[in-house]
Amino acid sequence: MIIKIDEYSDLPIYMQIRNQIVMGISSGELKGGEQLPTVRALALEIGINTMTVSKTYQLLKSEGYIMTDRKNGARVRPDISKSGEISEGNKSELKRIVSEARLSGVSKEQLKELIDEFY
Amino acid sequence: MTWVMNLIMFICIVPSTILMFAIGFTDKAGKKKMIFGVRDNPKFHEGEAEKKLKATVKSCRRNALIITIAVCIASIILLFMPVTDTTMTLWMILVFAMLLIAVPFGKGNTELKDLKKELGITKSGLVYTDLTNANVIHSLKLTWLLIPNALALIATIAAVLIDLGIINVNMVCEKYALTSLSLSFLFIAALIVPIAIMMDNTRNMVISKDSNINANYNRAKKKVWADLIISMSWANALFLVSYLILVMFVKSDIVMLAGILVYTLIILAIVIAGAANQKSIESRYERDTDLDLLDDDDNWILGMFYYNPNDSRLNVEKRFGYGGTVNIAHPAGKAIMIVLAILLISSIAYIIWAASTGHIPDGTVNIIHR
Repeated sequence: MIIKIDEYSDLPIYMQIRNQIVMGISSGELKGGEQLPTVRALALEIGINTMTVSKTYQLLKSEGYIMTDRKNGARVRPDISKSGEISEGNKSELKRIVSEARLSGVSKEQLKELIDEFY
Repeated sequence: MTWVMNLIMFICIVPSTILMFAIGFTDKAGKKKMIFGVRDNPKFHEGEAEKKLKATVKSCRRNALIITIAVCIASIILLFMPVTDTTMTLWMILVFAMLLIAVPFGKGNTELKDLKKELGITKSGLVYTDLTNANVIHSLKLTWLLIPNALALIATIAAVLIDLGIINVNMVCEKYALTSLSLSFLFIAALIVPIAIMMDNTRNMVISKDSNINANYNRAKKKVWADLIISMSWANALFLVSYLILVMFVKSDIVMLAGILVYTLIILAIVIAGAANQKSIESRYERDTDLDLLDDDDNWILGMFYYNPNDSRLNVEKRFGYGGTVNIAHPAGKAIMIVLAILLISSIAYIIWAASTGHIPDGTVNIIHR
């Protein structure tokens, strides 16, 4: 799986990595149980501090997307819990996106088409 | 006998200069990813910009060609001169003159960066990383690297023991000549091992959305490097062992110089083969490249020196020439550059001192003829 980091983005690098790993798990590019690179290896590949990658992994672990242990490193959780609900944070983010889309003249149908495409 | 020394210098200088010209000053601007260490851009090939690009490439290429031809002609002249202190001084000066070829490269790099600014090409900060391949692509077999270097170490220990008289051998060379020669080759071996490990751990390039293509591309590139360095290590070790045997038992300067000549030719052949393989890999994977790679041209001073405080890596792939270089912003990179600068300055100072006093070594081990 290829991840893309934009050095000039307003979004912190650890969040960019986190978001793309989540998208990778969701799309099936990263499968349950799949090994992720070590913190050091990923930091070296991107050319960033190991603390940044460590922060990403801690976040992903706390959100229940990955599991880590000293022996096996980081792996994608094979049993990600499916609550069937959108988190409050995501609801608020979605609300912002819908509002901006409406202000830009995007119709509800166009938004639904996009959701269908990404889902 | 002395013409062999001239031939060795000729073989070291001429092919290296031609190789630097061929690699750095291609006339196929637009077909390569990089032009003078600046990433090619479609905007370079539109209207006035293309004219400027062609003018820059033509002018820098012409200057580089003049330097290459001048170095080659000077080498041919020196080849037929008797080996005297003056000739050796001139050869040493020529080694540094060869590096002048970097000047038109740096000029081209600066002009193209200015063109980018004129065209309003903004820096792209996109870094691609392949999660599947992160730090798992390696081609270096450490055992194959350590065996020849261990052999060089054993030969050096033997040389020291012989020179100290602990091992009794009928010596035909001056005292400590063996030790100094062996230590100089061991020094090369000591440099080769970390370079090999460093090159095997360079960051993997992401050229495609397909992880398999990225894996194959990086594995192939690292394999070329590993093969090159292992071959050099073997050449180094075998030369050292053979040379020790020759120095101990053969009372002939010509055989010694012929040995150095053969060694130089082997190293040259290894480097040329490595460069050709690298070029073939680049052209093979050119069509598989489907990503806009990171534009970090501003981090390359004159297209040759990498300075990026935001990059935690120490080693990166070179943009001029062949191989890798260090990130000068990295603490270890700074230390390496300081050592290199000291070596360069002391070499130049040595040439000046040697030229003024006439203490020029002719590169041979002084044989005691009994």
